[in-house]
Amino acid sequence: MKERTFNTKALLIATAASVFMVVLVFYGSRKLQNFDAALVTYLFGTLFAFFGVVYRYTVWLQRPPTWMYFKRGINFLFTGKVFSHLWFLTKESVENIAFQKFIYPRGKYRWIAHFCIAIGCFSAFAITFPLTFGWIHFTLAPNSISVYEAHFFGFKVMDFELDSIMAFLTFHALNWSSYLVIIGSLYYLRRRLTNPGLIATQTFEGDLLPLLLLIAISVTGLCLTYSYQFMKGFAYDFLAVIHAVTVIMFLIWIPFGKFFHIIQRPAQIGAHIYKKEGMKKGIAICKETGKPFATQLHIDDLKIVTKQLGFDFSDDEGNSHLDLSPEGKRDRLAKAHLKARLEGGNLFG
Amino acid sequence: MAKLPVSTEKIIEDFGPHLNYSPKEGYPGRDEPDKTVKTHCCFCGMQCGIQLTVKDNKVVGFEPWMEFPFNEGRLCPKGVQRYLQNNHPDRLLHPIKRVEGKGFEKMSWDDAMDKTVSEIKRIQEKYGKHAFSMLSGVSLTNEKSYLVGKFARVALKTRNLDYNGRLCMVSAGAGNKKAFGLDRASNNYSDLEYAEVIIVAGANISETFPTLTHWIWKARDRGAKLIVVDPRVIPLARTADIHLDVRPGTDSALYGAMLKYLVDHDMLNHDFIDNHTSGFQETIDAVKDYTLEWAEEITGISKEKIKAAAELWGKAKTSFLLHARGIEHHSKGVDNVVGCINLVLATGRIGKPYCGYGTITGQGNGQGGREHGHKCDQLPGNRDIENPEHRKYISEVWGIDEKDMPGKGLTAYEIIEAIHRDEIKGLISICFNPLVSLPNNNYVRSALEKLEFYVCIDFFLNETARHADIVLAGSLQEEEEGTTTSAEGRVIRIRQAVTPPGEARTDTSILLEIADRLGEKDKFTYQNSEEIFNELRVASKGGTADYFGITYKKVEDHMGVFWPCPTEDHPGTPRLWADRKFKTPDGKAHFNPAPYKLPGEVTDEEYPITLTTGRVVSQYLSGTQTRRIGKLVDQFPEPMLEIHPEMAQKYNIQQRELVKVSTRRGEGIFPANIVETIRKDTVFIPYHWPGKKSANQLTPGTLDPISKIPEFKVCACKLEPLGEIENSSEKSNAYASV
Amino acid sequence: MNIANYNKNEEFFVDLQRCIGCKACEMACAECETNGQESMIHVNYVEREVTIQTTVQVCMHCEDPVCANVCPADAISQDEFGVVHTANTERCIGCSNCVMACPFGVPKKMEEYDLMMKCNMCYDRTSVGKKPMCATVCPSGALFYGTRAQIEEMRPNSTPVNSFLFGKERVNTKVNIMMPKGSTELRIF
Repeated sequence: MKERTFNTKALLIATAASVFMVVLVFYGSRKLQNFDAALVTYLFGTLFAFFGVVYRYTVWLQRPPTWMYFKRGINFLFTGKVFSHLWFLTKESVENIAFQKFIYPRGKYRWIAHFCIAIGCFSAFAITFPLTFGWIHFTLAPNSISVYEAHFFGFKVMDFELDSIMAFLTFHALNWSSYLVIIGSLYYLRRRLTNPGLIATQTFEGDLLPLLLLIAISVTGLCLTYSYQFMKGFAYDFLAVIHAVTVIMFLIWIPFGKFFHIIQRPAQIGAHIYKKEGMKKGIAICKETGKPFATQLHIDDLKIVTKQLGFDFSDDEGNSHLDLSPEGKRDRLAKAHLKARLEGGNLFG
Repeated sequence: MAKLPVSTEKIIEDFGPHLNYSPKEGYPGRDEPDKTVKTHCCFCGMQCGIQLTVKDNKVVGFEPWMEFPFNEGRLCPKGVQRYLQNNHPDRLLHPIKRVEGKGFEKMSWDDAMDKTVSEIKRIQEKYGKHAFSMLSGVSLTNEKSYLVGKFARVALKTRNLDYNGRLCMVSAGAGNKKAFGLDRASNNYSDLEYAEVIIVAGANISETFPTLTHWIWKARDRGAKLIVVDPRVIPLARTADIHLDVRPGTDSALYGAMLKYLVDHDMLNHDFIDNHTSGFQETIDAVKDYTLEWAEEITGISKEKIKAAAELWGKAKTSFLLHARGIEHHSKGVDNVVGCINLVLATGRIGKPYCGYGTITGQGNGQGGREHGHKCDQLPGNRDIENPEHRKYISEVWGIDEKDMPGKGLTAYEIIEAIHRDEIKGLISICFNPLVSLPNNNYVRSALEKLEFYVCIDFFLNETARHADIVLAGSLQEEEEGTTTSAEGRVIRIRQAVTPPGEARTDTSILLEIADRLGEKDKFTYQNSEEIFNELRVASKGGTADYFGITYKKVEDHMGVFWPCPTEDHPGTPRLWADRKFKTPDGKAHFNPAPYKLPGEVTDEEYPITLTTGRVVSQYLSGTQTRRIGKLVDQFPEPMLEIHPEMAQKYNIQQRELVKVSTRRGEGIFPANIVETIRKDTVFIPYHWPGKKSANQLTPGTLDPISKIPEFKVCACKLEPLGEIENSSEKSNAYASV
Repeated sequence: MNIANYNKNEEFFVDLQRCIGCKACEMACAECETNGQESMIHVNYVEREVTIQTTVQVCMHCEDPVCANVCPADAISQDEFGVVHTANTERCIGCSNCVMACPFGVPKKMEEYDLMMKCNMCYDRTSVGKKPMCATVCPSGALFYGTRAQIEEMRPNSTPVNSFLFGKERVNTKVNIMMPKGSTELRIF
């Protein structure tokens, strides 16, 4: 595929976004007064990941097919019945992003395992990113030795008793996340190590490393908890370093590896909107089979996109091969072959 | 007695057919099987090599067997899906008995055996030995076929034993015995490779023996000309050099006219005819009036095409003629077969490299199964049950008095007729589903309902078994050791991949126990399948189908041995007649006159259209096995009425419109499939389905006078469009039609 | 990826006129481990009312695959042997661009999974030196997998062609179609 390695536009956008993020960190942590200096390495890792994600996303969006979908998606969303669109968007997000419902038909256990990892990761991100940025922090309530207050962006959002269930859940949230991630990742690791189809097509860095990283992060994180809770801090420093290393590797890997799909997945909803809106605008009928096969919008857009990519499936009379359904294309090939064989004087050869 | 205990719907709910699909990512353990077993497909006569993968005593998948010389890994859709039976939810896991108003309930083996044996004794005491009959089938291994023959004669002591080969290739067997004195394809299929002309007559190879296509294509790549004789443009015919679109029931006219052409143009091998054959003169006398014009009139094939075919055949130096059910399922099936053989003998192209002839046996063990005595007139080694010497020899092998050996019994369809006449009161069946596969099956059903006792051995509750009093849970092909003989005459090893699931038992152990309880234990003392085979070797010794020199080890070492193989150091006989010593009494190959006769039923004003029946690629025989495999059912969900556009227009029939097809015996409703690939005067329905979707509600019980094969391939029908277009095949639920 | 035993000398050869429409390939394709009981090969009648001719279509594994180019999610990749792999499950967004753009009509949108799937030449088998399932079982030789020398010996009257013309576009592929002797290309329209 024709892809440039260096992309100025993406570089500029990513840099701008990263600078904006630094500003947010600065003000979100009340000019760094809520910032936990111990987390500075994580901060740099996260910022780098953020830069990478934006860069990669921008590069990605510039590809003609992606841009076409992006453009159409945004366009549809903000024309006509905006509220109806937003409702559709919300519904789709819950189904596809929050619950990943499309995985269920591929396999019940695959879905459960993926859902475990997804919930684990999302909750961990929700806790650790703001903590790292200094956007949330906990303090003892004034005049109390048992009530904790949680602050977000420097504003108090809630308080709770130290021995309450809420406190237990909050302070151990990362542990729960870790267990979920470990369960899900072990399932997938086992699958990847035993399924011959996967074994044949997977790569270590693309498929196994991400799972190993998730497991490593979760296990070392849990070890940290157990180290200070039950083992009087045994090997705590060592574990902390290992944990930090795995987390930072994970962060840096987000834009380039498997985890990019987390960022990319909302495009699926774009594709759904595109199809839904396209249906309203007419269905393409295959010129070979006479059967409907896609939205006319899709076919028309593909003609543009393929041209942009350097493919031209049309002839001088303006016929396009793209006006045929997949079955119609296969029929045409078979007929062309039949004709060639007949012209060759022998059907069989 | 044997009416259904509850509604058909209820029986289907409990015992299927249900559709089995492999789980989404295959059966657990498929990736790391306990073993991979080299065996053969359980379906057609090609007996393709295949490896079954086994985990925890369950068949979980397959792997192509690249080394087996006939198919080198190639398979058809049935072969690919054949692994879905052993783990099938419909699999019978224990004996069941009929309970009025409730259906079928589990019973213990002991009770099942007690009841079976006491009923056999009761019926035989009351009505005589021959009032208890047995029906068998040639999907059974050689060992089981042999055992069934001995079981019926020695333990049941009945003469009324016949088998479903009666619906398969008996016409070919009879024709071959008349012409060559021996019933086997004369050549193995590697002789196709350099044949200059290949005639495929009434054999839908691409759908019924798909893996044989490879050998035909291979010959064509070397320049062979292909002539296909079929009323339909079958896949093989589409690219063929000549397609002879014969009117059903007129085959012998075509071969007669071709023979006359050869004679008139002296395209004969006089040396061969003079020295190695007999009966030539009366045979050509019988066809002396069969001009091309006459043949065109009778067969509906243009005379130019007949001439072109005769020219090709006459001038070739090497050739191969193959035929199958298309010419055999006729009231003159034997005439059609000898008509083909006459063409082969006239040119003398037999017994030499790339000069071949053979019927393509349909069933898995159609070849081996028809040699070892579960046929009403036959004893092992393809011996004759009425020949005193043969009787004496086998009686000695079996350790019985020759006087106790029953004589010739009734054939399959005649057994049904005898039940109607109250001559037969009891039936034991194995590997046969006559309610789907016999013609005129409404008549078959009422016969089953008249039986006093019917016990069936099967692994699924097939349509016929629903009428049984007791069903004994038997074994699948992959659940027992044995051998089969492929359509080429190659004896091959079937291996036990798994033991029967649940309380199900091997067919052999069931038969042995019944024999034991009938008081004949001392004649059935086998420890394993190999011991049965070793007795079969002795029993076949000196017969035309001589297996004496074949051992399990030899079969395994050489991936098959071709019979005849009279001694242990004999390499087997892949190609017959190289020595020109034919097995007829005079040692010569016999020409047999085959004058054209009308089929058993001809079209008239009331029934103006010719109906022919046949098969589809994804189903096998009566569908007991294949109508339970999801993807095979999906491929052809229901039988459709193939009809030419001109006839459709005449009757104003639309694509997929439901059409009532009636004959003198019954009627059925089928959606129309309007295609130009069939003769304008003929309609076609495939037969694998039961109940209301069964083509055999329509077919006649006319039998060939010699082979007693029913005339499935031609009868007269009328069409009545119902004005209703049924676009989906879902509603008909044909695989489990009531 | 397991690439240790991929046999670079073996190629895929298709001859549609040999196809007997039996669908053994379709059944066997579903036994390939990379697509879990889903069949990726296409077998259809062309015009059943007039002929029993069938189409049989495996992925042609284009040298510059249109499917991968039009994929908005970078889900389709090509490996060093030229095998174009099925959609990466975590990336594919089920948009069907590839399905509609492929000139051979190969990719399948699995609506239930919201995922595109296609033939990857039985990578679990070819990568360990075995032949693809469909070409292994094909009883008619419509699908053949082997060396060029083998096919030349077997089919003296035909030439393998891997260049296809669709209007102005020439598509070169890894998979060959058998054509009359001496042909160099197949023009579809």
